[in-house]
Amino acid sequence: MSRVSRVAWVAVTLGGLVLPLLLGPGFYLNVLNFIALYAMVAVGLSLLVGYCGQLSISHAAFFAIGAYASAILSTRAGLPAALAVVVSQGITPLIAWGIGMVVLRLGGHYLAIATLSFSIIVEILIKEARPLTGGLQGLSGIPPISLGGLVLDSDWRFHYLAWPVTMLLFLFALNLVHSRLGRALRAIREGETVARLFGVDARRYKVKVFVLSSMFASIAGSLYAHFVSFISPAAASLMFAIDIIMVLALGGFTLLWGALIGVAALTVLNEYLTPFADYKRAIYGLVLIVTMLFFPSGLLPGLQGAWGAVRRAVAGGAR
Amino acid sequence: MILALESVSKAFAGLQALAEVSFAVAPGAITAVIGPNGAGKTTLFNVVTGVFPPTRGSIRFLGRDIAGLPPERIVGLGIARTFQHVHLFRTLTVLENVMLARHGHSRAEALACGLGLPWARREEAAVRAQALEYLDLLGLAGERDRIAPELPLGRQRYVELARALATEPRLILLDEPTAGLNEREAHEFGEALFRVRQRGIAILLIEHHMGFVMTVSDRIVVLNFGRKIAEGGPPEIQKSPAVIEAYLGSDDGRD
Repeated sequence: MSRVSRVAWVAVTLGGLVLPLLLGPGFYLNVLNFIALYAMVAVGLSLLVGYCGQLSISHAAFFAIGAYASAILSTRAGLPAALAVVVSQGITPLIAWGIGMVVLRLGGHYLAIATLSFSIIVEILIKEARPLTGGLQGLSGIPPISLGGLVLDSDWRFHYLAWPVTMLLFLFALNLVHSRLGRALRAIREGETVARLFGVDARRYKVKVFVLSSMFASIAGSLYAHFVSFISPAAASLMFAIDIIMVLALGGFTLLWGALIGVAALTVLNEYLTPFADYKRAIYGLVLIVTMLFFPSGLLPGLQGAWGAVRRAVAGGAR
Repeated sequence: MILALESVSKAFAGLQALAEVSFAVAPGAITAVIGPNGAGKTTLFNVVTGVFPPTRGSIRFLGRDIAGLPPERIVGLGIARTFQHVHLFRTLTVLENVMLARHGHSRAEALACGLGLPWARREEAAVRAQALEYLDLLGLAGERDRIAPELPLGRQRYVELARALATEPRLILLDEPTAGLNEREAHEFGEALFRVRQRGIAILLIEHHMGFVMTVSDRIVVLNFGRKIAEGGPPEIQKSPAVIEAYLGSDDGRD
């Protein structure tokens, strides 16, 4: 990992931990918690779509699987919330592995359509399996996570779980992309056959990163359920899946930091555009189009390029 | 014999790309495959490296049948290749391209990499050092941090060779290594191939540049329309009527 990346990680992690101490409680903390949760999903998806080049639209489904597994285990099976979160993460990889083995034989548009279909199936199953999931009404009264007697039932308390978890998962992803595995993923994105000719078992790695990516979404889903205390089939909706892909388009598919920046930008927009109600999505779309016009590869890579150009121009002028 | 093909055939939807091709590659030798366009030369490479399985026939490498094995297994057994149209990873630096080829010689998986375990970091540092050695060997150390498309074609061919060497092969397949190179560059590339052969690595190459083929090859196999029409040392091949006919066309005007 580069020095800049490492310093930035420490700064953002500490910044997130110190901020509430400086500003005190407030609505922004609620926003920050949602940023942390959605960032997990976006970072996981960045590994799969951005680095490995496999366009998947199934992360909302895995978010919902994590959320419902945790909710059902804690409300119906009476498991303590923290334990339910952990057990749920044992369920998701099994489902992801089974689905991944099948759909990742497909590439490009076909993979997108297959994962889209899977998302729709999950949404329908959630709506129909009323005895288990509560159907359209969803599940309410999901208990908050409690750790060592401390009940994480406020924005403030939850923040000190969600933020470290997000930043640790982010660190895991950063380490991963700067390793042998990250190199293999980038090679697969560029050309599966050539990657295989140099020893990269592309079929296995694609499934692996699909499972890993699904786990990021599932962890976020589980934590979300216990944070919000209520979940509905909306968690598995296509709109949510598309929102996360928009996040990557906005921040930049090919940089993990882009995922973080994209999530922060869209979540803040979402919260502070609430007065515009139904026009919110139109504004999102506009922001995305304008970004794509000026920075086709996303905000972060775009700004990096612009900064490089400015530096060169300055250096050229000084000569 | 390090590689032995026995009656290898490959058909694509009715097109017979290879028909009953048999020949062998001696260890430490440079063997050339020549033939007019469409003779099945690149198909032959794809079948040997596992890009697709042969329709029929056996391919024995170091005594074991590798026909139909997946490419990632075949490279692990010791066959590496380069491409007619350079296929370097464009989003990887020159160094990373060569490091990628060490994939089969390193073990850290997702968990070890993601957690940044000390042994995985040491392994990555070792991979980097090994890759640098291969770049040094071919005089590419100064270009390590550039991305492939920035380099002139001649240099890209060396990077492909370095990448192939980094897999620690016993046999390298070179698909038209001098395509797009001028005479001097082709000559230099030939010198590099002799250095590769000195390391005990056998070479099988496809080539259209006849001067180059006749200078570097120990043995030549000639394909036409997917069939082997001749095999021998450079002097025999130059005199072979079948080869002359294949290249110049006979009087009954096949063109």
